Amino acid sequence: MTTTDITLSAVEDGETKALTPGEIFRQRIFGHKGFLLGAGLILLIVLVAIFAPLLAPHDPYAQSLSSRMLPPVWDDAGTWDHLLGTDQNGRDYLSRLIYGTRVSITIGIGAATVGLFIGVTLGVIAGYFGGWLDHAISFLLTAQLALPGLLLAMALVFIIGPSIWVVIGIVGVLHWTYYLVVTRAATQRIRSQDFIAAAAASGASSRQIIWHEILPNLLSSIIVIFTFELGIAILAESSLSFLGVGIQPPTPSWGLMIAEGKQAMFYRPWLVILPGICLFLLVIGANLMGDGLRDITSPEGRNG
Amino acid sequence: MSIPRWRSICAASAVALAASFGPAIAGPADDTLRAAMAEEILNLDYNYTTKREYIILAQLTDATLFDLDPATQEFNPSVATGYDWVDDTTLDVTLRDDVKFHDGSTLTPEDVAYTYNWIASPDSESNASGVVERWLDNAEVTGPNTVRFHLKSVYPLVLRDMSNRIMLRKAGTYDAGGTIDRNAMSSNLIGTGPYKVVSFEPGTELVLERFDDFFGDKPAIGKVVVRNIPDIGTQQAELMSGGIDWMFKVPLDLAESLGATPMAEHLSGPDLRIGFIVLDAHGYTDPDGPLTNLKVRQAINYALNTEEMAKYLIGGSAEAIHTACHPAQFGCDQNVTAYPYDPEKAKALLAEAGYGEGFPLELWAYRDKAVAEAISADLTKVGIDVDLRYVKLESLNQARAAREIPAYVGTWGSGGTADTAAIARIHFSDSDRNLSGDEALQELVLSAEQTADQAKRKAIYSEAIGKIADEAYWAPLFSYSANYLVSPQLSFPLDPDGLPRLQHASWK
Amino acid sequence: MLRYIALRGLLALLVAFTVSLAAFLLLNVAADPAQAIAGEDATPDVVEAIRQRYGLDQPLWVRYGEWLGGVLQGDFGESYYWHKPVAELVADRADETITLALSALSVTILIAIPLGALAALNPNSWIDRVALGVAVSAQAVPNFWLGLIMIILFAVMIPIFPVSGDDTWKHFVLPAFVLGASSVPAVMRLTRTGLIEVMGADYVRTARAKGFRGWPLLRRHAMRNALLPVISVLAVQLGQKFGGSVITESIFAINGLGRLALESILGADIPTVQMLIFVFAIVFVVMNLLADILNAALDPRIRIG
Repeated sequence: MTTTDITLSAVEDGETKALTPGEIFRQRIFGHKGFLLGAGLILLIVLVAIFAPLLAPHDPYAQSLSSRMLPPVWDDAGTWDHLLGTDQNGRDYLSRLIYGTRVSITIGIGAATVGLFIGVTLGVIAGYFGGWLDHAISFLLTAQLALPGLLLAMALVFIIGPSIWVVIGIVGVLHWTYYLVVTRAATQRIRSQDFIAAAAASGASSRQIIWHEILPNLLSSIIVIFTFELGIAILAESSLSFLGVGIQPPTPSWGLMIAEGKQAMFYRPWLVILPGICLFLLVIGANLMGDGLRDITSPEGRNG
Repeated sequence: MSIPRWRSICAASAVALAASFGPAIAGPADDTLRAAMAEEILNLDYNYTTKREYIILAQLTDATLFDLDPATQEFNPSVATGYDWVDDTTLDVTLRDDVKFHDGSTLTPEDVAYTYNWIASPDSESNASGVVERWLDNAEVTGPNTVRFHLKSVYPLVLRDMSNRIMLRKAGTYDAGGTIDRNAMSSNLIGTGPYKVVSFEPGTELVLERFDDFFGDKPAIGKVVVRNIPDIGTQQAELMSGGIDWMFKVPLDLAESLGATPMAEHLSGPDLRIGFIVLDAHGYTDPDGPLTNLKVRQAINYALNTEEMAKYLIGGSAEAIHTACHPAQFGCDQNVTAYPYDPEKAKALLAEAGYGEGFPLELWAYRDKAVAEAISADLTKVGIDVDLRYVKLESLNQARAAREIPAYVGTWGSGGTADTAAIARIHFSDSDRNLSGDEALQELVLSAEQTADQAKRKAIYSEAIGKIADEAYWAPLFSYSANYLVSPQLSFPLDPDGLPRLQHASWK
Repeated sequence: MLRYIALRGLLALLVAFTVSLAAFLLLNVAADPAQAIAGEDATPDVVEAIRQRYGLDQPLWVRYGEWLGGVLQGDFGESYYWHKPVAELVADRADETITLALSALSVTILIAIPLGALAALNPNSWIDRVALGVAVSAQAVPNFWLGLIMIILFAVMIPIFPVSGDDTWKHFVLPAFVLGASSVPAVMRLTRTGLIEVMGADYVRTARAKGFRGWPLLRRHAMRNALLPVISVLAVQLGQKFGGSVITESIFAINGLGRLALESILGADIPTVQMLIFVFAIVFVVMNLLADILNAALDPRIRIG
């Protein structure tokens, strides 16, 4: 588990380092409307996830078959007891949407982290050592991009058994390529610079150079990719759950809820529309934050 | 239905409008019944297929020696005019002399003997072989219109297999000139049934036309077109725009919503399919697991509100059951131990068994997701920590064969056979579906097939079903109902065995 | 150059075989093909008979070896369900998917490039912001959900397009939009940054000094260079459209390769899955190769070695 410790300390280093030109940085953050909007959305959704038990009017798993498929409150037949109606098992839809934030956020963060470890490790190795290692990793990359994720997901869910952790693993394993491409190129660039040669001349091992010279320099781009991957991973989970090879019922996953509502969508469109809007808001939050972070951390900045 | 009627009509007409791009106009105007099936139709020869869709089609294109009356469960003559048991293992069958194949030739006893001998031979690799080789030694022509069947042993279900499983073919069909062609009848089918094949595009469309030389009652409708439409939503749109007249296996909610409009009629009939949970009582997955404890299995039975599931999730004529067979099946004794819904009792039993704190249970399921979720919720309520694994049937069977499944939600349609034999043998003898590990029970179930004495068979099945209930090897759930949506102009009679018979449809 | 293409082609084949081996192993652990063929109510002896008939009782490596032997002779085997050669099946279905992929790509081009150009011409104006908004939103919409919403909106509430199917051009409008929308953000952003960069270049400044403004400036001087990277990205996106067709084709019931892939994966139709993966992998690698070659051909600064 040494990797975790070291990367964590690297994150801390990065923060202190990033904060040194304090004033400018703060200005950039608060001047960036997109970033503020995205961060605000994410913060809001994270709060909903944390306080879900307080916010949800009902137990998201409590079924009542006799009151299934109730319409939302704005419908003539709707009731205030179930603001957004109930699903095919008579469970409160609003409560399930609220608890769905937990699933999406856990999987988003988890999978983006798994992808980060795989992608950055391979990217730095390929970029730093080059040669046949680089070729082998490029091959792996192409093979990965060509393999249908659905198949991988189906097999893994089947072999290991479905749980949030397995889905995190699957989505993570399917989403490391972006990290790899970026860190490989950046590592190649950094490696050719003088200070690396200097470090190597002073007897530093490859290991030390990677951890002390290269990784800290990759940090800001890794954080930006992480934010984007957060959104991508959340979408990936919802697609897999929609196809039935992701989160398993009765866990409230938005993708799964859309799949369950699909059958009745001509008559009860809200069953499909509502979870989709939740997904959209969460992912757009992550993307805006990613765009913002990229602008803020890039040397020239960008007005947005 | 909680949604206002006008709203469903609006939605429905919109869907209909949207779908009205197709040129197809179905109905009485051109005397063509257009049926939709989701499952792809790829082979017309039921001797080489198994799925339900193919049974439906085989009823149209083929005739068998006998007909099983779905209402009375009696065997009526069809291609055969009668039969006579010479002794326990020799059966004489007399044939009609006016049965025509679709190519105009007349059916002979040689054709019948050939068909049976071919299917029983290992070369045939027919899907019916497994059933037939169990009892058939050989079939022999004994006269201008008689065939004698020599059985390997006593087998009470011969007439059933003859009615359901073996479609008659002309002699030499599958091995003409010594070369074996198992696909000989897969698309250019020459059968003896009420409809003949006009054209067939696998996976897309099958066109059938009334066969004028059919020996039996001629069907009322002149043409039947079966279209493959995989998406139930598309089928729905086509039905409303008049592109099709008939769809089956319709989910309850959809059937009710659309059935409430003037564009379609919702028919709901009985079905021999039942749902149940199979519990690993033997302990294949864990020799000391909680499911090996009778009290735990009984607790699971008490914990399930099967009546609500039947009423709200399956609907129609579905009912809660407490037997490991459909109440309409022969030998399915209803006077066996029942475990009515009682969550408190379930909790008490769990506590007695030493699982007062509950236990984790991996529950597998492959269809009716809402039912699987309802079961999981009911079990959670009494303290069992359910890990639901909702997978494709193929995956479930793979895991079951590897003995990795502690409990699964199964369903069984008994192939439309109203006899406990059709469900008991598969689930309680030497198959991987049998998780009871009860050898005495297995012998009992097999012994029922060693006698042709109906009273004795009934007694044996009573005993077996009783034992299954006492030991709570299963948690029986409910019987299914068959939901259809049909065009308002179509009159489609429903049979108690749940098998749709398109040959009996007519225009209003 | 030729040597480079040959090497990349070899790599494509290597990838295709690796992926097909992986897929073969994954499928075999996840599902029982014999059961899939037999259906729900099949008795165990029927399933067993099917297993023997299709040789599914053979060890895995024997079966993969047989498949590989066939492929090397150009024979991809026969589908378990359709009882016809997989190659024929794939050829039958390919035109639907090619139609869908190309029309989706057209949708992407029609939306993304004008939007990107407008944004680049008016940086930081409201147009730029709208373009950015479109890009960010399109990126955040789950593809399968967009498909369902399009059906609800334009096939049910305002019924101008059919719900599903693939008979006429009208059937392809909604799916092409849904599939095309997912590539809009990448292409639009690239067009915008490319143009902004080019507009800052010396020769454009010179042109501007000569009095060129707006579209004429764009058309005559900036577009060509700015579009270089866009073209190669489009080639890659086209390759991805084939993979992306799985969900879109399923939602709109289009009888193409994507839906065939989904059905055969779920139904464990191993020969079909194997060939589809092969085809998808090759299309993917070829499109990437094409992108590189295009780049090299259009931009004299790049030389491929």
